[in-house]
Amino acid sequence: MDTITGLFPWITNGPLLAVQVLSGLSVGMFLFLVSVGMSLIFGVTRIVNLAHGSFYMVGAYLMVSLMEVLPDRPWAFWLALLVAPLGVAALGAVIEMTLLRLIYHRDPLMQLIMTFGLLLVIGTLVLLVWGPDNKSVSRPDILAGSVKVFGQPFPSYYLLVLGLAPATAIALWLVFYRTRWGMLIRAATVDREMLGALGVNVAALYTQVFAFGSWLAGFGGALAAPTVAVALGMDADVLTTAFVVVVVGGLGSFAGSFISALLVGELQSFGILVFPAISIVLIFALMAVVLIVRPWGLLGRPEE
Amino acid sequence: MSTRLWLGIALAVLLVLPLVLPVFFLVLAIEIAIVALFATSFNLLMGYGGMVSFGHAAYFALGAYTAALLVKKAGVPMLLALPVAPVVAGLAALGFGYFIVRLTHTYFAMLSLAFGQIVYTIIFKWTPLTGGDNGLLNVWPPAFLRSQIAYYYFTLVVVGLSLLALHAIVSSPFGYALRAIRENPRRARYIGVNVRRHQLYAFALSGVFSGIAGGIFAFYNGSVFPDFAYFNKSFEPLVVVLLGGMQSFLGPLAGAFGFKVLEWLISKWAPIYWPLFLGAVVIAVIVVLPRGFVGLAEGWRWRARPATGK
Repeated sequence: MDTITGLFPWITNGPLLAVQVLSGLSVGMFLFLVSVGMSLIFGVTRIVNLAHGSFYMVGAYLMVSLMEVLPDRPWAFWLALLVAPLGVAALGAVIEMTLLRLIYHRDPLMQLIMTFGLLLVIGTLVLLVWGPDNKSVSRPDILAGSVKVFGQPFPSYYLLVLGLAPATAIALWLVFYRTRWGMLIRAATVDREMLGALGVNVAALYTQVFAFGSWLAGFGGALAAPTVAVALGMDADVLTTAFVVVVVGGLGSFAGSFISALLVGELQSFGILVFPAISIVLIFALMAVVLIVRPWGLLGRPEE
Repeated sequence: MSTRLWLGIALAVLLVLPLVLPVFFLVLAIEIAIVALFATSFNLLMGYGGMVSFGHAAYFALGAYTAALLVKKAGVPMLLALPVAPVVAGLAALGFGYFIVRLTHTYFAMLSLAFGQIVYTIIFKWTPLTGGDNGLLNVWPPAFLRSQIAYYYFTLVVVGLSLLALHAIVSSPFGYALRAIRENPRRARYIGVNVRRHQLYAFALSGVFSGIAGGIFAFYNGSVFPDFAYFNKSFEPLVVVLLGGMQSFLGPLAGAFGFKVLEWLISKWAPIYWPLFLGAVVIAVIVVLPRGFVGLAEGWRWRARPATGK
């Protein structure tokens, strides 16, 4: 025990531990918003969208631009937080209708490569529009400071994140399980052809689902903008992590994404504390272990 | 016979190339040859085995780092260090592949990506050994291979022999068993093919040849960086194979040529547009040209022939 406390002095520091858990949770919340959209899109369209991190990045950059354009008033931040994800949803809808629609019947491999092409194209377009310099978004005044949590300072903006993301999760659950549209989405994940045969406009449903998934990623990006440097390359960073979350939780599983996002968030948060040098390896090691032991993820369904 | 004739002509052209081409184009030719080998080794999996790895840069990087480390840290001569590169890359591919080939399709791709990112992170973080972000610099070949012309011939020989070996592999019973698995794994197993073992050997062999490509690239480049293992790099052979066409042995060679020439033209003109262009080309190829350049050429040939009627 002495050696453990010697190596990791924080282990007996309850308040520090609690703050660490909270920050892991907020990281997990961002991951959840991105990965649940990715998982939703996969569930319905069977496409693993490698451009999903790009939507997150575009959400953050739109937030930057909106904050510049809007007058410097307290409501500007909230309006931007509302509008930026909608812009991303529109982008997603356009991409779905013009490109992805052409390849639904193709080999999954070709679909993957196509979305990788989108990742490259969107990344360069963002560079051309917003330039190579890092941007930042200031937090709204009421959330600019920090609060004391167990005597430790904790940025109050993260409280918003900790509140909004679970609210989103509950709203999503209500949409999926308590509305007709949610029922159609769940039906589409089970048998698309049958859904079409029953007279549902499957093409329109695909567009809606893709736009909705993009909205979730854009919302995650817009919400994350004040907590990070908005920079090129955040697309690939968030993509790889969201990828791990989705695979660990089970592709197409809503609850799996939630649990696994929290798991990965905590793993990142504590990984930096315990093994600072190899914290990124931890999540990939987790993914490798899950894929070896339970390839379809914690809550996913086995591949046919 | 005509294939041999064409190969002979191609070889003759490649041999006299240094006499007519400026040095710059020789350098481009070296890069094309290395990418062609990397992509052909990747195509052993994708085209012949129907398996798509998203982490193949790992084996390229392991080859490059093995060769560079042996020369830099252990003082081993380059010509002895180079043969170790494919051994290390192949053993890593064998070890990771053991787990990867248990999965199929999307999951196969993802586990290979996970192992690839683990290799990348280890290279990136193990600064005392690998130099971390700064990489390893001044990894040059011995004096007699220092000139571009000498290294061009050296690359030509190594890549040529590797391609012959790969061709022998895909033409062997093993290669045909691999195609059978790609077409119908269940039926392949039914007729007595050990599916997983064949896939594992293909994965390891692909790692071996990627390691060779990485090794010769290290000495061509004079330095190695963690980026070699990054997942962006893993898409390079994929794009090359896609461009060239995966249904043919020579497809990746044509793809490597097209890829590198395009990269050179665009990097010269406007480097920041390169990813945009690459992405657009990938999307366009998938939508309009599913079988790559070679498919296009075959399509023309097929159309040019008179209809035989049936």
